[in-house]
Amino acid sequence: MTMYSRLTGVQYVLPAMSLLMLVLFSPVLYGFWFSLFRIQYGAPTDFAGLENYARLLDDPGLAATLERSALFTCAAVALTLVIALALAVWINRLGQRLGFVVQMIVILPWIISTVVATLLFRWVFVSDIGLAGSLIRMAGTPDVQLLNSPGSAMALLIGVSVWKRLGYAVIILLAGLKGIPEDYEEAAKIDGANRWQIFWLIVLPLLKTPLLLVTIVLTLSNLNTVETPLVLTGGGPGDATRILPIEVFDRAFVNFDLGSATALALVMFAGNILLVLAYVRLAKWKT
Amino acid sequence: MSAATSAAHPRPVSAQHAAVPARSRIALPSALGLVIAGLFTVLAGLNLLPLFWGVLTSLKSQPDLFRTPPVLFDFVPTAENYQRVVDSGFLGNMRISVFYSVLTVASVLILALPAAYAFDRFDFPLRRALFMLVVASIPLSLGAAALLIPNYLYFTRLGLTNSVFTLPLIYTAYQLPMAIWIVKGSLESIPRELDEAAIIDGATHFQILTRVMLPLTRPALGAAGVLTFVSCWNEFVAGSVMIDTPELRPIQPAIYNFIGYFGREWGPLTASATLAILPILVAFALLSRLIVSGLTKGSVKG
Repeated sequence: MTMYSRLTGVQYVLPAMSLLMLVLFSPVLYGFWFSLFRIQYGAPTDFAGLENYARLLDDPGLAATLERSALFTCAAVALTLVIALALAVWINRLGQRLGFVVQMIVILPWIISTVVATLLFRWVFVSDIGLAGSLIRMAGTPDVQLLNSPGSAMALLIGVSVWKRLGYAVIILLAGLKGIPEDYEEAAKIDGANRWQIFWLIVLPLLKTPLLLVTIVLTLSNLNTVETPLVLTGGGPGDATRILPIEVFDRAFVNFDLGSATALALVMFAGNILLVLAYVRLAKWKT
Repeated sequence: MSAATSAAHPRPVSAQHAAVPARSRIALPSALGLVIAGLFTVLAGLNLLPLFWGVLTSLKSQPDLFRTPPVLFDFVPTAENYQRVVDSGFLGNMRISVFYSVLTVASVLILALPAAYAFDRFDFPLRRALFMLVVASIPLSLGAAALLIPNYLYFTRLGLTNSVFTLPLIYTAYQLPMAIWIVKGSLESIPRELDEAAIIDGATHFQILTRVMLPLTRPALGAAGVLTFVSCWNEFVAGSVMIDTPELRPIQPAIYNFIGYFGREWGPLTASATLAILPILVAFALLSRLIVSGLTKGSVKG
């Protein structure tokens, strides 16, 4: 052990850890300090304690935004998980070559940026002059304006979010499935288990860790997504698809209310931390 | 070389058996299999049509765009949409995005290898706690929306916004934890006897790092590098918050601005989208296996 000197070790992690400190950790502390002040023209003026946080509680619109965010995130994560699990089990049965091609097609929307993917999705499937819109008009049915009604706009937002992140979930679950030894299934078959029993009693419990990890990552990324609602609906119609991240950015950069924006961002951050802690517990890391 | 990547090492998702050829294993009732095959067909349409139709749209002139029924191939392709996008300065945005992404990939790899080496081999104070911070930071950067307001305030205070190095700095911090994790996983499978032999031959730790570890972890570095490149190229939120100067604006915020600028003119919009996708598709076509392996090993980013 002596050949690995302590000093050398510190030297090697120092640059990386300093960068994380500068960009990830200290801004949070600074932000918290900042959120305790009254802010004018982007500069802290006098100490206000928790006033910025209290203003959040007084805001009548915020509860509705939280509710929409919760609905959006839960629906998007649940749908992604169910569809991804079905696809992963199916792909796992295909041959190696075919399975790889299928994986590549499934993951396409994930490797494209959210801005561009949402933009193209909107153009082809949603716009009244796009491909789907033109075909619908040709068929003689009246125009479907999905983005004009609150319910369908939210459904569309959920749909696009599922579509965008599905490939990621499939890849991770597929890797988990491939890690299950085949003997387990053989043994269960010999014991007379049918396919459903094998799936529910053997496969699913063994997939617990990857399933939970995917759930956490999907929850984090849906809860924090700015681009999808921004490009697809702009938060509308009315406030129908106005979810938490849009609220934070509007407060900060449209209303220039940096005090309450920072307070809200930190509340969101606290929520993120809970998810991150769950992630750290699950990730099989050792030192 | 391949032993370094395929040997078992801790990762959130066990993929040790990835090399086993997939036979008909976990079988579903065949009716359900058909339903899923149908689902996949729909999904393939949803995934491929936007790309295909987007590229097609970008090549159409204004009158061709509004023809009903929509034309598939029966039109004269035009470059006018691309001309308009280029005239709006999009090539400059692409150039700066290439710069940001390449610089980030380089700095992520340069910082990740020594850090992973130290976390795997050395003993120093707070090692466990620091490594836990690194693991916690992997999913943390997904919450960029929450992180970015404090980050913006802090960087404004330090005078770090709106410079050429602002985004590479932020992107490096976002991607570094995942890279350290992937590289450390690969280092774990390299026997310590190799270090010891090198030390006996008179090598320093720095030489071991550059002459032994660097070549042996190349697949892991490649996977981390590709994922980093894709994430930087696709990043939107930090790019739009931290940068005001048009010359420094990366492509994703530039495309978002085009939405306001071109409105319902889908020709130039799809042209800019096509230009943004092109490098990603090329990287994907050449390095798809590396991307998938990086994703499974890094096991984050949604």
